[in-house]
Amino acid sequence: MAAYLIRRMLLIIPTFLGITVMVFTITRFVPGGPIERMIAEARMQKIGGSTAGPISGDQTQLLSEEQIEELKKYYGFDKPILVSYFLWLGKVLTGDLGTSTRYYDPVWDMIKERIPISLYFGMITLILVYGVCIPLGVAKAIRHKTAFDNFSSIIVFIGYAIPGWVVGVILLVVFASQLEIFPLGGFVSENFEDFTFRAKVWDIILHTILPLIAYIAGSFTVMTFLMKNTLMDNLSSDYVRTAVAKGLSFRSAVFRHALRNSLIPMATHFGNNISLILMGSFLIEKVFNINGMGLLGYESVIERDYPVVMGILVISSLLFMIGNILSDICVAVVDPRVRFE
Amino acid sequence: MKLNPLTIKKILRFRSIRRGYYSLIIFMVMIVVSFFAELLINNRALIVYYQGNYYLPTYGEMIPGKNFGMDYEYEANYRELQKKFELEKNDNWLLLPIVPYGKFETDLKEGEYPPFPPSFERSHYLGTDNAGRDIVARLVYGFRIAIIFSLILLLVNYTIGVSVGIVMGYWGGKFDLFFQRIIEIWSNVPFLYVIIIISSIMVPNFTMLIFIMAIFGWMGMTWTMRTVTYKEKEREYVLAAKALGASNMRILFRHILPNTIAVIITYAPFAVSGGIVALTSLDYLGFGLPPPIPSWGELLQQGWANMDAWWISGSVVIAMLVTLIVVTFIGEAVREAVDPKMHTTYE
Repeated sequence: MAAYLIRRMLLIIPTFLGITVMVFTITRFVPGGPIERMIAEARMQKIGGSTAGPISGDQTQLLSEEQIEELKKYYGFDKPILVSYFLWLGKVLTGDLGTSTRYYDPVWDMIKERIPISLYFGMITLILVYGVCIPLGVAKAIRHKTAFDNFSSIIVFIGYAIPGWVVGVILLVVFASQLEIFPLGGFVSENFEDFTFRAKVWDIILHTILPLIAYIAGSFTVMTFLMKNTLMDNLSSDYVRTAVAKGLSFRSAVFRHALRNSLIPMATHFGNNISLILMGSFLIEKVFNINGMGLLGYESVIERDYPVVMGILVISSLLFMIGNILSDICVAVVDPRVRFE
Repeated sequence: MKLNPLTIKKILRFRSIRRGYYSLIIFMVMIVVSFFAELLINNRALIVYYQGNYYLPTYGEMIPGKNFGMDYEYEANYRELQKKFELEKNDNWLLLPIVPYGKFETDLKEGEYPPFPPSFERSHYLGTDNAGRDIVARLVYGFRIAIIFSLILLLVNYTIGVSVGIVMGYWGGKFDLFFQRIIEIWSNVPFLYVIIIISSIMVPNFTMLIFIMAIFGWMGMTWTMRTVTYKEKEREYVLAAKALGASNMRILFRHILPNTIAVIITYAPFAVSGGIVALTSLDYLGFGLPPPIPSWGELLQQGWANMDAWWISGSVVIAMLVTLIVVTFIGEAVREAVDPKMHTTYE
């Protein structure tokens, strides 16, 4: 077990290097990088500032060659890719993710601001998914092929077919735009600062409900059916039949024997959920305009703010990999038979 | 082709699961209809009778307006032509498709701005989008692209996945270990984010997008095939084939592969719906196929940006719901047919 975990930990290193080298190289070949954008901005200012006089060709070049060189040097664009990659990597290892080329803020501060919001939704989702799916799955397994089972299957199936963010779009259109029950997105109202404490709480709750449904729709079905199917497999296994045959009540056969074994695959999915919340947040945060990590990542790609793009890539791939390892540990804790090699 | 009795049994079992069987029929009809969408949803007339000649403008070169007595060189506007024929009251006639609008065509009204709500009078049965294009046309042509996309993606992923996976499982050893590590590393990539970064830099066309998606999508099938082959190669028939002197290639592709087909087929419907969702998500974010290619993701983006136009998002979501549920039902039925599970119930 320990050897396995150490190997998994060590595998983080090549994975991390692989991802970052790949993306770093891609971002280097892009037209429209930060330097080009600054030159364009400077040109815009020049045109805006002095409308008099003909502007032609090189004269519009506001920044001199030396200034451009200096800028390139500042952002490390003057060196070959590998050299500047290792410079970047060295900084990252000391905890410095660089500065945003768009907002001139440290990348880490920008990400740090957004993490709590993503985490808020992630944690509530995780709790609700496990809190609802396990009882629902058990109920569906026990009442297999009854009206309750069939009816709940329909709802669960719809949730499975449609991805969470699409659910989000339709929820917004119906409940926020047409019925005007919920706000149109964002995390808090504009005049949030002036609210009393109770109004603040209520405001956040109103802003939370729709995104939360969208988040839950993503992993709800998989978990419910996983719970149901594993429990049904266990119910038809010999040890439960023996227990029932020896006179144990059905209730305790389910809850004391079958259920405990059925929780193992649920634990396996724990890590998957962590990554799902991280990845899914991308689209859902965009739909609901929530200022979390996903939206920051999306905006930085659009604005070609590569230090932020790389920073988010670093954080999210690390979280992703740690999530997977955590999930393995969960399995080992829940199921003592599991021996990783 | 002679089918193995076991396979026939599986097919019969699939047919007996009505929900899945009818879903398959509906899905096939949807695909066939979308392939002949030009006959149902098009700005070109199906058939034109003009001065004693018949014209079939649907497929082939565009016919200039002056051929039908209009005063312009560009393509004839058949909706106007129809009105003109009705006014002239002579023998000329034409038949328009059910939805007489093309996939790129904008239909604007004077003094009003799109999107326009559904209107039977103007034959916009689901209304128009923000640019004034007919939503039915965008939906159907978008479906065609999405389905072709996900079928090709499936084929590419499965070709790579099955061949690498089967070899990994059969040979084992260093080859297996090497690919195990690669898959372990590769599946830890936050792939949606990386795809977005890549396509923000180079606007991908259809082939490129499939290529990019396949780079991150081949691992699932590889892993499954590896495990299955691992089990299969221990069975007696492989030993028997080996004893008879069959080559490795023959054992792999004539003996092991047919026995793993069940597993491959079981995953296919879910891969199809996964492909549709992935393409829609990328299009929604604006990192999929470039406009003006019709796509569900782009329509959803429009419906999201313009929430008062409920008919945009409503139609896409219902179309998606129907398609994905149908595919999911097929998948469930295939799984049930291939691997029926007997459940014990207690009274």
